[in-house]
Amino acid sequence: MSTPSTDFAPATSSPLAAPAAGTNGSAPLPPSGAGTPSAALASAKAAAGSSSGTMGTFGVKSGLAQMLKGGVIMDVVNAEQARIAEEAGACAVMALERVPADIRAQGGVARMSDPQMIKEIQEAVTIPVMAKVRIGHFVEAQILQAIGIDYIDESEVLTPADEQHHINKHAFKVPFVCGCRNLGEALRRISEGAAMIRTKGEAGTGNVVEAVRHMRQVVSDIKRASVMGEEELYAFAKELQAPFHLLKETARLKRLPCVNFAAGGIATPADAALMMQLGCDGVFVGSGIFHSGDPVKRARAIVQAVTHYNNPKILAEISMDLGEPMVGLTIDKDLKGGMYAGRGW
Amino acid sequence: MSNDTPEKIIIGVLALQGAFAEHQAILSRISLPSHPIASLLVRTAEDLAQCAALIIPGGESTTIASVAARTGMLQLLKDTCRDPSKPVWGTCAGCILLAKEATGLKKGGQELFGGMGVGVRRNGYGTQLESFEVMLDIPGLREPERPFAGVFIRAPIIEHVDPSAPSSSSIETEIVARVPPSCLPAELQQEAESGTTDYTVVAMRQGKKFVTTFHPELTKDERLHEFFIKRCVLELPAGK
Repeated sequence: MSTPSTDFAPATSSPLAAPAAGTNGSAPLPPSGAGTPSAALASAKAAAGSSSGTMGTFGVKSGLAQMLKGGVIMDVVNAEQARIAEEAGACAVMALERVPADIRAQGGVARMSDPQMIKEIQEAVTIPVMAKVRIGHFVEAQILQAIGIDYIDESEVLTPADEQHHINKHAFKVPFVCGCRNLGEALRRISEGAAMIRTKGEAGTGNVVEAVRHMRQVVSDIKRASVMGEEELYAFAKELQAPFHLLKETARLKRLPCVNFAAGGIATPADAALMMQLGCDGVFVGSGIFHSGDPVKRARAIVQAVTHYNNPKILAEISMDLGEPMVGLTIDKDLKGGMYAGRGW
Repeated sequence: MSNDTPEKIIIGVLALQGAFAEHQAILSRISLPSHPIASLLVRTAEDLAQCAALIIPGGESTTIASVAARTGMLQLLKDTCRDPSKPVWGTCAGCILLAKEATGLKKGGQELFGGMGVGVRRNGYGTQLESFEVMLDIPGLREPERPFAGVFIRAPIIEHVDPSAPSSSSIETEIVARVPPSCLPAELQQEAESGTTDYTVVAMRQGKKFVTTFHPELTKDERLHEFFIKRCVLELPAGK
C-alpha cells in the first residue's frame, strides 16, 4: 500500500466559494468546489527546493473528478461495450462483470471484477477506467491500484465485505468515489478520504426516484447547515454523525467540498437532465444503457442531455426515437435483490 | 477589441464538458484597470459569436470533440482555433484539442480543432496514479518570483514544437513554462536531460494561441489567466 497523503485538506479548499459571475443565465447552481492543490505543498516544495512532482495528493485526486464534470460515466462489462461508450462520448467507464440489473436478477455474492477483464478494458479505451470494490474490502482496492486503475468506486452494489468499516481511502494514491443518501453519509466518506461523491439511488432498477430522494436530501441538509451559527453546527454535526470541520466547510461553501455525481436508476436523457438540474455535477449510468433497445443511440443521447440539461428544446430532440428503455422496477419491499442503498455505514 | 476603449471583454469558456465552471470562477476575480472582464459559458454557436476570446477547459478531449460534433459546433470551433486573429487558450484536454497533431488517441483517432503548431501525446505521463503536482517557475507572470502550482492530471506531453505551423507568417512562439525533467516518465527523462528531444514544455504561446498541459483552473492563482488576457487578447508586450 502506498504512503498516506499528507495533503488531504478539503476543509481549507474554497476555489469556488462564490458562484461564478458569468453572463450566461443558464447556470442556476454554483459550480462545484473541490480540493485545491495544497498551499502546504507549495511552501514545502519551495522550502525544499525539490524539483520532482508529488503524486497521490488530494489535489490530483479531486482534480480528476473535476475533469469528469458535465460528463457521463457508463457501466461496461467488456472491451466492446467500453469502445461503444467511448465513441458515444462517455467521460469515463466503470468496468464490472455484471451490471447492477443482472446482479439483482442473478443474486449471489457480487465481488470485484477479474483484473484481466479490467486490463482489457484499459487497453481498449483512452478515457479513465473506474472499477468497483466491495465496501470495506481494502485488498480488492490494493489489487486495483496495482493494475493502475484511474478511480475506485467503493460500492454498495457489490456485496459488502465489512459491515462496520469503510476503506481508509487516505492510504491510497488512487482516488475513490463513494455513494451517499444524505449529507452525513457524504461527509463521513469524505472524512475517510473519498475525493468524489455520488448519490446511491437504487442501482439496477431503472427507477430514478431514490437518486432524486438522495440528492434532495443532500441539498436540503446543506441548505439547513448554511444558515446555522457555530453552536447549531456542533449539534447538527452530532445529528448527521458527520465530522464538524467538514460540515462547517460545507456550510461555508454551500455545497459539498468535492464533486457530486448522480447514480442509481438513471435510464433516460430526461432522468440525466433532471439530476443535473437538481444540482449534480454529472451522472453515472449503469444498466440503463446496455439494457436498452439501442445502446449506441441512448448513450449518445444521455451524453448530450448532460451538456444541454437546461435546454428543453435540445432535450426534446435528443429524446426522440431512442428505442426501448430498460425495463424499470418498482422499489418496494418485494424488490428482487433488496435495497442496496441501505448498505454502507 | 481596441486597447483604449473600456468596453467589456467577454471571455468565453467552452462548456460542453469538463472544468468550465472553475475557469469562470477565476475569470470573475480578475480585474484589469480599464479592461473589465466578463465571462460566458459557450454551448452554442450564438454563445461563441459574443466572445472576444475562448478558453477550452480540462475535461475529456474525446467527450468534448464528440459533443461538439453532435451539436454542430465542430467546424465552427475548428475555424475559430485555426484563425490566427482569435485568442484561444486550451488547458490539458483543451491543449490536445488545439494541437495540430496528437498521438495516443483512441482507436480510429479523434477530431482535433487544431490551430497550434505542436504535436502532443495524450495521457503522456500514464494513468491517474502518475498524476502529480509540482511548483513551476514561470518568468512571464506577474510576481515571477512566486512559483505557480502546476496540477498535472492524466496530462498530455508536448512532443514537438513547430514554430511555423499556424501559417507561413511570422507568428511568435514563446515557451512560457517547463517542467523539471525529473517529472517525466523514466523512459523520456534521459532523452530530455541529454537534450536530444525536449519533452519538458508545459506552457507555450504562439501568437494569440496559448496552451498549458496542466490545470491553472484548479488553483486559486489567477496569474496565468491574466497572462492569457494580457498577451493573447490585449496583445500587450511582455512585462506589462
